[in-house]
Amino acid sequence: MSRPVSRSGDNSLPPPPGAAEIAALVEPGRVHRRAYTDRAIFDLEMERIFGRAWIFVAHASQIPGPNDLIRTRLGLRDVLATRDADGRVHVVENRCTHRGTTLCSVERANAASLVCPYHAWTFALDGVLRSVPHRKSMPASFDIADPRLALFRAPRVADYRGFIFASLAEDGPSLEDFLGDMTDALDNFIDRAPDGEVFQEGGLFRLEYRGNWKLHHENANDTMHPGFVHESSVNAAREDSRDYAEPVFDEHQAHVQMLSNGFSVREWQSLGLQGLANGHSYMDGFYTRGILSPDRDDPISRSYRDALEAARGREAAAGILAMDRFNNLVWPNLNINAQYQQIRIVQPVAPDRTVVQAMCFRLGGAPEGMFHRAVRFLTNLSSPASMIFADDAEIFEKVQAGLADGSREWLDQSRGIDEAVGNGRVASAGASELPIRGQFRAWLDHMAARELRPGPL
Amino acid sequence: MNGAVATRPIDRAAVEEFLFREARLLDDGRFEDWLALFDEDGLYWIPGLPGQTDRFGAASIVHEDRTVLRMRVRRLGHPRAWSLMPLPRTAHMLGGVTVSPAENGAVEAVAALQVALYRAGGRTRYDGRQTMLLRPGFGPGGGDFRIALKRIDLIDCDGVQGVMPVPI
Ligand code: FES
Ligand SMILES: [Fe+2]
Repeated sequence: MSRPVSRSGDNSLPPPPGAAEIAALVEPGRVHRRAYTDRAIFDLEMERIFGRAWIFVAHASQIPGPNDLIRTRLGLRDVLATRDADGRVHVVENRCTHRGTTLCSVERANAASLVCPYHAWTFALDGVLRSVPHRKSMPASFDIADPRLALFRAPRVADYRGFIFASLAEDGPSLEDFLGDMTDALDNFIDRAPDGEVFQEGGLFRLEYRGNWKLHHENANDTMHPGFVHESSVNAAREDSRDYAEPVFDEHQAHVQMLSNGFSVREWQSLGLQGLANGHSYMDGFYTRGILSPDRDDPISRSYRDALEAARGREAAAGILAMDRFNNLVWPNLNINAQYQQIRIVQPVAPDRTVVQAMCFRLGGAPEGMFHRAVRFLTNLSSPASMIFADDAEIFEKVQAGLADGSREWLDQSRGIDEAVGNGRVASAGASELPIRGQFRAWLDHMAARELRPGPL
Repeated sequence: MNGAVATRPIDRAAVEEFLFREARLLDDGRFEDWLALFDEDGLYWIPGLPGQTDRFGAASIVHEDRTVLRMRVRRLGHPRAWSLMPLPRTAHMLGGVTVSPAENGAVEAVAALQVALYRAGGRTRYDGRQTMLLRPGFGPGGGDFRIALKRIDLIDCDGVQGVMPVPI
């Protein structure tokens, strides 16, 4: 069904679009539909973006011990993030080098080696071929140490305080350079744990929508859509008057989460947006009510704050808890919500198909109630039956369907383009499409191999 | 808990009739009436993990009491609920019903469940097992039973999922 990423040796396929052709798809205030619908563009994205940039693959707590492994994705590649007996992390392709068989068919495992279910070729967790049965029937030229027989391995794997990224490029910017100021968001995520460690627990969701992968990030920092897209859940929550002191089984989280999307025009404008280099961006937090507000004060929050203060000191703890940002986007595939212990991973499947993995974390040293809130947040916002995500996904599908027949050539992204000027970090008021323009600047940089052009977004 | 009430014989036909009527309300889009079947502390639960026992320590696809479910039902009637336009249609199929006594005179009814769902742009099917905990109902319109728990264990609860737009 899907065309191979590499076209070498296949004369039946047209040549990939050239740099000038790609560059012509993005103008400052608009982008051409082909960026969302064209298979050749998608294949190039897998090669030049997901095949080069730092891609988030797993959290260290998902593979805590020797021989732990988790199945994940690097672009379209089915890969395994493994921790070998010495504790080193590798990202290897989940494909046997004999005849291509999928090696591991479960999402997580603990195994000292990877044994192919077909003819039992056996690979070490770093991908090296260790043994093949009936060796004497192999040709004389067969050399088990031949690197071509090893599993394909991501040449660069790096870890930012437990957040594991991989890059298929042999060289390029370091992970920290790539993350830039987005390390703040990761630091804040981890620093919120009184004992300095976070653990991915509580299950996860894999949500599929019939739309392009870029739509998810474009929407995540779009502060103008919630009042329209989520109107039905905002209204349902508004009709439901509540006393927040009243004890209910979910601590009013569903109510608060649905209600909070209903901000006014003035509230959009007062939300700040920050565009950073490499396509990253974030917005100010907007949960101001109940247990999701930054200054929440209830028995669980208090005992959590006490634990954090005991570990870090009063002032440092206050600083950690004061950071209130929503949807910290590490382009192209990670979305971080530090204050609610949530992340989402965007996994492209096809030009018109995407899987979003959503998961929550336990803060080490925090009361159990804090973890239960993170679990509840995940269900409310990111479950397949979420009353909020359902409408976002529906909009992604409507956009994709609207672009599919080719009658509409361009997508506008000019909102706020006259306002923000600056280099590197750019700030703007909430009603701007600045984050989308920043994402496309990074997109163009990868796709057309341009130099980053600092300037207004 | 084998009190006097627990020994009352279970009216199997009445239990089945209730299950079929509950499913029919969903298929007919009569969500307010459906909500009314839940007891005050009734729960609607679709676990996110196979065999999930902890409702708070692992995320669920749906985990709602009446206060949250009431908002869900209100949203279903909203003219600008985009994922509900046009309102998806469902057809429930229940089979292999078993009934057994539960604590405090309640009845546990377990059934194989298939729900075909049609929405603009495609069809989905949900397959799994439904476990209902039913309490004897009282009062007019309350029917024979009140739902203390409606739990659905989907066979692919931890797999890749599209949007589940309406209660199943
Ligand atoms: S395909 Fe893996 S051993 Fe033959
Ligand atoms: Fe949204």
